[in-house]
Amino acid sequence: MLASQEKNTEYEDNTTIETKKTGNSVYKVDQLNLWYGEDQALKNIELDIPEQEVTAIIGPSGCGKSTFIKTLNRLTEMIPSVKTSGGIYYRNQDIFDKKYKVELLRTKVGMVFQQPNPFPKSIYENIVYGPKIHGIKDKKVLDEIVENSLKGAALWEEVKDDLKRNAFGLSGGQQQRLCIARCLAIEPDVLLMDEPTSALDPISTLKIEELVQELKKNYSIIIVTHNMQQAGRISDNTAFFLNGEVVEYDQTDKIFSSPDDKRTEDYISGRFG
Amino acid sequence: MGVRGTYEQELVQLKEDISTMGEDVIAVFRQALNLLENRDDEKIKTLIEGDSAINQRELQIHDDATMMIARQQPVATDLRTTIAALKVSSDLERVADLAVDIVKAAKRMEQESNGSEIQEIREMADVAEEMLREALIAYQNRDLMRAQRIATLDDTVDRKYKHYIQRLFTLSDETNAEQTTQLAFIGRYVERIADYGTNLAEWIVYESNGKHFDLN
Repeated sequence: MLASQEKNTEYEDNTTIETKKTGNSVYKVDQLNLWYGEDQALKNIELDIPEQEVTAIIGPSGCGKSTFIKTLNRLTEMIPSVKTSGGIYYRNQDIFDKKYKVELLRTKVGMVFQQPNPFPKSIYENIVYGPKIHGIKDKKVLDEIVENSLKGAALWEEVKDDLKRNAFGLSGGQQQRLCIARCLAIEPDVLLMDEPTSALDPISTLKIEELVQELKKNYSIIIVTHNMQQAGRISDNTAFFLNGEVVEYDQTDKIFSSPDDKRTEDYISGRFG
Repeated sequence: MGVRGTYEQELVQLKEDISTMGEDVIAVFRQALNLLENRDDEKIKTLIEGDSAINQRELQIHDDATMMIARQQPVATDLRTTIAALKVSSDLERVADLAVDIVKAAKRMEQESNGSEIQEIREMADVAEEMLREALIAYQNRDLMRAQRIATLDDTVDRKYKHYIQRLFTLSDETNAEQTTQLAFIGRYVERIADYGTNLAEWIVYESNGKHFDLN
């Protein structure tokens, strides 16, 4: 049993979720299987994801990495044909439990997608959208959230003079950082990033990578990436997925210097995929 | 040809270049020993001058490896192969330097030494040369067992060196102090060459599995 197991809950009693760093896993994935109809996309996934570290998920197209990351905040259940077995424990609570409130999970687990997807609103409105839903109305508090979130996403200096500007007027890299700021506004515990830089130019990509290094001081980050060098640069741990299975999961230093499995070696050194 | 066929060819070429360099270094070492036994100042001069060509080979290998890191961004075994190439080529270059030191010391000796000292140096040098040869084979084939056996040969050299030095200074007197000093230096150079043979073995192990072993 992990140390924090007895003290946190996201059940219907609305007890506050404990998210202080404990040196434990933020997620524990136990024999997770997932099917799209008859096709099995994830097979017996076993992973412990440490908190306040960056965990990269790598693997060729169709290996299940995006499915996996979406399952971590139950996005896959919106697809009717999806069936799962096994467990995913977020902070030691089974997220598949019938009593588990998915809305609470998603306030603690933010997600950033491949294409930046700001709302067609001002920068300010993008940030306050979530907090407002959560009932925050005080303008001063909202202003503070906007400033802190944009600072947290390394965007404040670039946009602080014109927060009423439409988000669509920002560059792709700025839009992606705005989406990250939007996640931060609801004070999450975990950030899931599904290929967050694949649509960005190299400089914007490096800005996001730098930002990830800053964010991991306060958040646990799980990032799916096609870019092996990116995984090498920014992650602490790397899981290599192939055909729906985890072939190897270890510290990134180990994976990129002397992986145990030949398939991992072949993939990271560009022999296939 | 695989997905990274061109790069794989470059890696093969890198290893072949090192093997060729290694063969040349061994030849220089042999030549130095021969010149110790049969002093020939003209040939000594040629050997000393030829060292710059070995240095150039090392620099070329460094440039090639650097370019591969920059352009191919190797990881795992590819990266270790490239790093090992840098280290192995540097160690081989040092062996050539020590061979030059041997002939320079031979030149400094006032008289040619035909005594048992040279015989002892030759015996040490034969083992050191075997270590280098074994290392080159192990390097080409990533042969861990062969690499580890090199350490045993180094123990033999160390034993012979200890015996050689003790005997050298027991027999020496004031009248042949310079001769004794130079012979001691030569023995030391050969012993260092054997150490570099062990270093090569360590890099072969690293290239193969990423582990560092002190075989010395």
